[in-house]
Amino acid sequence: MFRSVESVLGILIIIGAGAVVYDVLAGSRGLDLGYFQANWLRYARAVQVNLLATSIAFVVGMGIGFLVGWARSTRTQPIRKILSDFHQAKVQGTARGRSALAVTIAVAGVRHYLRRIADGYVEAIRGTPLFVQIIFAYAVATTFYPRLAGVEFFAGVVALTINTGAYQGETFRAGLQTVHTGQVEAARALGLSRWGAMRHVVLPQALRLVVPPLTNEYIGLFKASALLYFISVFEITFLSKQEAYQGHPFESFAMITGIFLLITVTIARVVQYFEARFRIPGLGIEPARD
Amino acid sequence: MAVATEHVGRTRAPPIFSLSNAARIVEMVIGGLLLISIMSVVLKFDIRDPRLWAGYGPNFVRGFWGTLGYIALILPISVGVGFAAGWARVSGHRMLAWPAGAFVDFFRGVPPIVVILFAFLFGVDFIPLRVQLFLQDVFGTSSNSLPFTLAAFAVAFHSGAYQAEIFRAGFQSISRGQIEAAEALGMRHFQTMRSIILPQTVRLSLPPLGNEFAVLIKDTSLLGALGATELVGLSQEFTAQIPISGGQIVWAFAIWSSVALTYFVMTFLVTRLLRLIERRFRTPGLDVMSL
Amino acid sequence: MIRTEDIHKHFGALHVLRGITLEVTRGDVLVIIGPSGSGKSTFLRCINLLVRPDEGRVFIDGVQVNRADIRPEWVRQQVGMVFQSFNLFTHLTALENVALGPIRVKKAPRDEAETKARQLLARVGLAAKEQSYPAELSGGQQQRVAIARALAMDPKAMLFDEPTSALDPEYIREVLDVMANLAHEGMTMIVVTHEMGFASSVASRIVFMDGGIILEEGRPLDIFEHPKNERTRAFVSKILR
Repeated sequence: MFRSVESVLGILIIIGAGAVVYDVLAGSRGLDLGYFQANWLRYARAVQVNLLATSIAFVVGMGIGFLVGWARSTRTQPIRKILSDFHQAKVQGTARGRSALAVTIAVAGVRHYLRRIADGYVEAIRGTPLFVQIIFAYAVATTFYPRLAGVEFFAGVVALTINTGAYQGETFRAGLQTVHTGQVEAARALGLSRWGAMRHVVLPQALRLVVPPLTNEYIGLFKASALLYFISVFEITFLSKQEAYQGHPFESFAMITGIFLLITVTIARVVQYFEARFRIPGLGIEPARD
Repeated sequence: MAVATEHVGRTRAPPIFSLSNAARIVEMVIGGLLLISIMSVVLKFDIRDPRLWAGYGPNFVRGFWGTLGYIALILPISVGVGFAAGWARVSGHRMLAWPAGAFVDFFRGVPPIVVILFAFLFGVDFIPLRVQLFLQDVFGTSSNSLPFTLAAFAVAFHSGAYQAEIFRAGFQSISRGQIEAAEALGMRHFQTMRSIILPQTVRLSLPPLGNEFAVLIKDTSLLGALGATELVGLSQEFTAQIPISGGQIVWAFAIWSSVALTYFVMTFLVTRLLRLIERRFRTPGLDVMSL
Repeated sequence: MIRTEDIHKHFGALHVLRGITLEVTRGDVLVIIGPSGSGKSTFLRCINLLVRPDEGRVFIDGVQVNRADIRPEWVRQQVGMVFQSFNLFTHLTALENVALGPIRVKKAPRDEAETKARQLLARVGLAAKEQSYPAELSGGQQQRVAIARALAMDPKAMLFDEPTSALDPEYIREVLDVMANLAHEGMTMIVVTHEMGFASSVASRIVFMDGGIILEEGRPLDIFEHPKNERTRAFVSKILR
């Protein structure tokens, strides 16, 4: 009994908050229902720009992210270990010569620095605002290609790609590292090759693990694409701001928040459904970005 | 491949070219310098150009302090809002939990820039004229600065929504058994909250909060889109004047590199600081929470 | 069946194995005991080459296997292994865990491999759990699936690396029972364990290892009742209380 009273109150508070927003923004003029009918198509077209930019950046960024994640999850032998191994082999008379040692050290060194470069890329991108990255990319693009048509869209997509590449790299790294080393050992003990263990044990788990965080990343990137309005990409925020200035603040605010909530919630729910459907007990990692 | 290391016996080899903490920071500084010098060669700019800094320097300093000011304003509000909303969601009262849930879902589902823009443009309409006048009298807020403050509140609410989830997870991770045990000792609800639940929640929430604070610092840059007196806003103002004032176009690259570097140092310090605090108060068995 | 000659292994500066020579004949159950850090697990891994010995030779059925021209994958097909921490593949059901080796390594047809996997699961008493994922099984059940997984490769011998150490006490019995049955069926086994009841009733021989060498070797009764070596005596009295 008390619970249902509380529920009603809770809903009333939510509705009340919405009503206050409505009253302040549109109260004196009244809601222009005709506006929605006349303009929804323009908003839908504008949001397509966001979806296009997000999708291109996401797919290209996934390639970057996978490579970065792979590079960051590799382990190389410390140089001391390589040298001591060589020393031991020499004592036993099984050493393979100095040139082989040099190659071993060179390979370990290259792999080490590839990993550190990938680390640096992720740190640099995650430590700086996407907004600044977008402005930077726009400055570079307009300086070198001032007359290119659609340069702002191009610059925006490049910035989003570089940004999501770092965040997805973090996700892939976590996915690849989460698969327990014991399981790899068990796979090898069954007689699977290194690649076989990778293909049949690590990858199936890693790929499943990264789907939910990657979905969150797509949603996050979609929301971030709203920033492109600042470099004059004609996307939904740009349109919405313009419309708000032209006398429809509440309608345009309702429209843009409604569209964003609709799309983000839908994607999240769909993936949640599939995740629950194909869930494997005991398998999961955290998202890389909120 | 990392996972497919050959010998995974009891004794694992120590991590690669193992570096101490100090060496790591040295490596990072060198890496940063390397990155900036590569960019200056490719984009043909000089980040130390004295003619640039003669003009841009004051903007940079003013912007930096402005950013710190906004952080100082936003951070406490966001923690307060986040904590309250997180608490409301686990309070067991639907009257509180549902609105808090709607608040969290809304601010997490809509891009912060959208909320910031509308708060800036129309937020003033929400404040009764009498309150506006009162604020003017007491704080000396002009009608010009009020919209920026409201936009800052939007940043705080956005971050608060994320922090609410962190605190909620912190509350929920404390077992029912401990609360029962506290009640069995004769503690009141408030006492249980203060001496059992809160200390654990705060400790558990610290590492994810550190990450969220870093996000918040980066999000203050969005206020620059409105032309607020902070790092991005003042840098943008200066960059826009370069063609008019006879500067070089490549100055823009130096400016935005400096801005990015400043944010990097700030977020780095905040995450490290919170990690330090967390380590200082670590309790065995109270594992770091992951959201 | 399995013979090792003067096995040495270093991990960096650590000399973990310092000359292990052992022979296990067909149908033998050899139990290795010893304090932790004595090199027992590393020695087991040297037999199926999960760890490559630095020195010495490993023979399986009279063939030296730690040679450059023999693929370690082939060796691992001959000898099954069960781990302390089960190491079941998280993303596969119990049935799929057992069938993975035959399908991927031996290229057996799927239905054949699954039929056999079902039989093996039934043999370890888990016929009803074939569709469960590892996270849904108790520790004892997981370890029994791991045993079935190793058996699916038709190994000539089995290595057990402290198979009950990670288990809650109530699940130890069921795993040991499966292992005892396996021993009675004539499987050649090398078992690292601290379960003295199992060692004395099932083992044909016991080896006491410490500091990377074999200090004493003998029948269970001799080792437990009349240990000759001082360190063996101290260790045995500690674990038998």
